Amino acid sequence: MFRLMRIIFEYKEPITLCFLIIISFSLMSLGDTTQLRGFRALSVTGIGTVQEVFSFIPNPAALKAENEALRELNYYLSKEVGKERKAKLENERLRSLLDIKQEYEFPVVVAEVVQRVTSGLRRYVYLNAGSEDGIQEGMTVANDRGLVGHVFAVEESHCLVQLITNLDTRISVVDERSRVEGILVWEGGRHMKLTKVAKSRDVQAGDMLLTSGFSSMYPEDVYVGTVAEVTEEPGSLFREILVEPRVDFDILEQVFVSMQVPHPEILELRKKLQEKINLER
Amino acid sequence: MALFKEETQLVTGNSVFQNPATRYVAYAMIALLLSLAQRLLLGGIEVGGVAPDLLLIFAVMIALGEGQFVGMLAAFGAGLIFDSVNVGAFGSSALAKVISVYVAGMFYREGMYKITVGSMKFLGIIALSSFVNNIIKNFFALRLTEVDFIDFFVTYGVSETLYTTVFAAFPMLYFARKKL
Repeated sequence: MFRLMRIIFEYKEPITLCFLIIISFSLMSLGDTTQLRGFRALSVTGIGTVQEVFSFIPNPAALKAENEALRELNYYLSKEVGKERKAKLENERLRSLLDIKQEYEFPVVVAEVVQRVTSGLRRYVYLNAGSEDGIQEGMTVANDRGLVGHVFAVEESHCLVQLITNLDTRISVVDERSRVEGILVWEGGRHMKLTKVAKSRDVQAGDMLLTSGFSSMYPEDVYVGTVAEVTEEPGSLFREILVEPRVDFDILEQVFVSMQVPHPEILELRKKLQEKINLER
Repeated sequence: MALFKEETQLVTGNSVFQNPATRYVAYAMIALLLSLAQRLLLGGIEVGGVAPDLLLIFAVMIALGEGQFVGMLAAFGAGLIFDSVNVGAFGSSALAKVISVYVAGMFYREGMYKITVGSMKFLGIIALSSFVNNIIKNFFALRLTEVDFIDFFVTYGVSETLYTTVFAAFPMLYFARKKL
């Protein structure tokens, strides 16, 4: 016994290393369990609260960039308002002709970004709005430029938003001009990638992409990005399409959370899928 | 910085930090403060999503001051703190930090803490352990994805290693001045 203890003491470093590696792997194999989610949600609330205390510190670079973006947006909007008014009247006239029900518009909650979290290729932000404001998991988050992401986790006064510039992002989008559909993904860097678009389909640089009606996560017709570059790789059936997100995530400060929740069954199915993926890992 | 074992022995004979338990509690408090600083303050100096890993620097300093055994336990704790405030696979940062600090702990020499930390050797140790940390961390972050590991590692992993090494110059310069 004494000899065994002596051996353990002598080799305590490699033994500890092995022991800690086993614990780490065990924790990883647990996946995203309910207890773990609860623990992380507590961290979200704690950090969000502390971050709010520090939020008075201004960021001059971000303010300047935001000013420029707002001016540009103002110019763009003033032009759009006229077009919009004309289109709305035309739309109402056509709808009455076709007897189509008006789409139900969901109310929004305005929230501020209090914290950014980057973990490799997974990017999230904390908002200062939570379940007490009516926020629920799965709600869409956007700003005046376009789609920001969706609510990933909620606590009383804060929520965690998974940005579209996230490794796990898969958005069903449609080209505003040609109505070509594809799946938008992000694999790091400035641009997103539009995948599953055959070479024969009409997609050009400058085209705007909107969320399509096939998405279980996001509502239809929300601007996501602009096609930046279209290249054709020899030997591939698909095009390589780079998309610049409409939202500038570096200066993201205020966002709108749409109070539209995906169908509970869709959320449930997504959870089951996630659990299955975690188990396979 | 006078918290480290050797430091306390050199500075005073009756420091409260001579008691290992008190010292370890102090390490835990510092690790918590650093994790908060990492989340709250380093956003301003983040470049392209890359920020220095303060917890790793601290864990390596513990390994150089207390030895591999305590260093690994500190790294595991720091990794769990990091995992709890981030959204990746829980335990992956703990694993990466434990292995990287184990590597750093190989450079532990009793009684040489100030000399090691106050020299360029310390930056080399930080660069090595940060490199190991990033390889393991990114491996788990990218598995089951279509992202090319080499491309991603060259872009983000190497950048983070360099940025962390640059930040490690602050404690190095502090201890280099104390050596004089």
